[in-house]
Amino acid sequence: MEQLKLTDTVETAETAQYIVTKLGAEQYGIDIRYIDNIVRMQHITRVPKVANYLKGVINLRGEVIPVMSIRLKMGLPEDEITKTTRIIILKLEQHGTIGVMVDEVREVVTLSSDSVEKVSYNSKEGVSDFIFGIGKHEGELISLLDLNMVAMEK
Amino acid sequence: MDVNQYLGIFLDETREHLENLNAQILNLEQSPEDSDTINEIFRAAHSLKGMAGTMGYKRMQTLTHDMENVFSEIRNGSIKANSNLIDILFQCLDALEEYTNNIQETSDEGTNDNKPLIDQLNAFLNDNKGQKEEASEKEKPEEKKEEASEDAGRHWMDIPIGDPEKHVFAVAREQGKQVYGLDVRVQETCILKAARAFLIYKAVEEKAEIIVCNPSAQDIEDEKFDLEFSLIVVSDNPLEQIIQAAQNVSEIESVTGDVFEVQDVPVKEQGQEDVPAKREETKPAAVSQSNAPAKQNEKKAAKPVVNRTVRVDIEKLDVLMNLVSELIIAKNSLVSASSSEGMTGAGFNEQIEYLESVTTNLHESVMKVRMVPIESVVSKFPRMIRELSKKLDKKMELYMSGEETELDRTVVDEIGDPLMHLLRNSADHGLESAEVRAKRGKPEVGSIFLDAYQDGNNVVIEVRDDGNGIDTEAVKAKAIERGVITPEQGESMTEKDIIGLLFHAGFSTAKQISDVSGRGVGLDVVKSKIESLSGEVEVKSKLGEGSTWIIRLPLTLAIIQALMVIVGGEKYAISLGSIQTIEDISPSEIKLVGNSEVISLRGSVIPLIRLSKELDIASLKSPEDNLIVVIVKKGEKLAGLVVDELMGQQEIVIKSLGRYISKCKIISGATILGDGEVALILDANALI
Repeated sequence: MEQLKLTDTVETAETAQYIVTKLGAEQYGIDIRYIDNIVRMQHITRVPKVANYLKGVINLRGEVIPVMSIRLKMGLPEDEITKTTRIIILKLEQHGTIGVMVDEVREVVTLSSDSVEKVSYNSKEGVSDFIFGIGKHEGELISLLDLNMVAMEK
Repeated sequence: MDVNQYLGIFLDETREHLENLNAQILNLEQSPEDSDTINEIFRAAHSLKGMAGTMGYKRMQTLTHDMENVFSEIRNGSIKANSNLIDILFQCLDALEEYTNNIQETSDEGTNDNKPLIDQLNAFLNDNKGQKEEASEKEKPEEKKEEASEDAGRHWMDIPIGDPEKHVFAVAREQGKQVYGLDVRVQETCILKAARAFLIYKAVEEKAEIIVCNPSAQDIEDEKFDLEFSLIVVSDNPLEQIIQAAQNVSEIESVTGDVFEVQDVPVKEQGQEDVPAKREETKPAAVSQSNAPAKQNEKKAAKPVVNRTVRVDIEKLDVLMNLVSELIIAKNSLVSASSSEGMTGAGFNEQIEYLESVTTNLHESVMKVRMVPIESVVSKFPRMIRELSKKLDKKMELYMSGEETELDRTVVDEIGDPLMHLLRNSADHGLESAEVRAKRGKPEVGSIFLDAYQDGNNVVIEVRDDGNGIDTEAVKAKAIERGVITPEQGESMTEKDIIGLLFHAGFSTAKQISDVSGRGVGLDVVKSKIESLSGEVEVKSKLGEGSTWIIRLPLTLAIIQALMVIVGGEKYAISLGSIQTIEDISPSEIKLVGNSEVISLRGSVIPLIRLSKELDIASLKSPEDNLIVVIVKKGEKLAGLVVDELMGQQEIVIKSLGRYISKCKIISGATILGDGEVALILDANALI
């Protein structure tokens, strides 16, 4: 058992799978290990008196799950709900289960650690706080989201 | 042999026996001659001892054994129970409870031998029955020792030693420990050899770490051995102690041992991969105090997490089972109705109604399964009052009724402390001293009442005393002194307001905690605890005549009846329990008092709360329309919630919003409506 785990981490240190999503024109990658589910956009019940990036709660098979907007959290313009809008349900150790809204879910990519570049933290934009690296995949750049930062309460 | 699977049952039953003992010993004090009581006590103590022994909890067993000795003398009539003895017995019960708590947390009984208690018990026995020999001597090791000296062939020499073990020995030696070989011979008459072997294991493990055994642990467990088995252990205790520990197990004929000489032990760099595995096999899942290298200790048995359990009447389960089968029938009928008649037929509606009644019943019976009588909590109170009576030197009597009243398990678990606090309060501050009582023409013995009963969807628990009642002037003075209120405020306060001050957090100060309870210390805690259970506390008091504390608790927390309302196009639920009435108010009836809106309703002035404003949403109604006002009640306070529309009453299942969104105070949770949408539940208490 222990050995199994060990090899597991060794492997992920080299390659990791990401779900590529779109927010506006940019592509963002979410580590597949934290993803529980991806659901279509549905009615979100607003919860009053909470931070603006918390859009509310949804019913996911009998569970009430909070949904947040990554766009608002990162200081981007408000989400436009379209046919391609999806809610990605994340399971995070620290924060429990939460849903994040994305404009579009594109594909799953496997990135090896040498194709990921760590970002420097000197950029002025707020966005860079939420990104731990930039992945290169078939000539495109994917910003890899630091989910704990995204989910952290401000 | 793993006894962990029985741990839950053991804990449950132990608790039950302890409760029983508590109650019966109290009885015994009242009527020392009652043979029924004595027999009952004896039985309970005996079962406790047996259970503790089976589970290998030696200290617990020893203590109960000594208690049992005392009980047996009482039963024979050679000792009479007096107040002193009862005190000791209660202390013993406390000690047993401590063991139980330790076991629950760590699966180990702890290391407290409670020697003073045992000595006291024995002293009592000896005082009363001089010729009785020290009763605590349990199993006589004499007969075993006879054969012990005879060197029984050193069977442990034959145990094949592999490299991993040799490595362990070498490490142990380096740490200054000794390696011993042990031969254990079980008596021929022994019936449960495996059980005895297991007890030996447990006993030896307290002193040493078992490295190898022959036959293997598995075989021993399956009783695949004759009368003998051998062990090789590592320990820093002397050999005699280990042998002694093993000999204390009954039905053991002999235990012999010697230092194990290991020849040519090559020290390998690393223990092989199978060392930990083997280790686990040889070690029953008990926490031993082995000091072997940490790496090998990693496989130590994990702490068992003992789940909370509810004992359920088999009848309740039968009812549940029946309902579930009905539910399945209803579902099948629905399936056939939908395929044969489409969704419109009368049969379809009939089926829906049937389904509804089944689910309602199902809900009720599931709730019933979760319900436990409050007896488990209140049964410890008579003893507490007895002790308080001694400590405070006041005569008092506790009268309880309605112990069989049932509440949700979660509520029952939480209600103990607040109740205990109120009782202490009554005993300490409520009841006057005997002289004062005599002067006032009251009976010398003060009375405290604890009454529980069901009232609609609530359970009411009342704590009442015939003492002095609350001196509102004194409370007021104290509140002013503490700066909780200003003297001016004090002038205008009603009696009720002043009593309410008792629950004010600032009113109590830690400085005043007396041995029993401070004046008002922690009443705010009582209140917040009850409120966290969605209940409420109320006080009624008459100076000179006594006071009554009334706790009102909801029967269950998970499913409630709620009124669904619409505010600004959003659906919200308000618990029906807090709603008084629903009113239709024309805008002209609204008056302004100090910048806030109020309405006057049947003589009382009620503040209006516009939910649209509280919820940051625009109301969809025009200001000229009549207002729909839901009058809610929190304690004695009323408030009117303005909503846009009423949807109707509905049974809702409360879901938590999760910790991620928990900052919103006025929302107490969420529920999922029939169409799958989430609606939030408004907490009327937080709004007022």
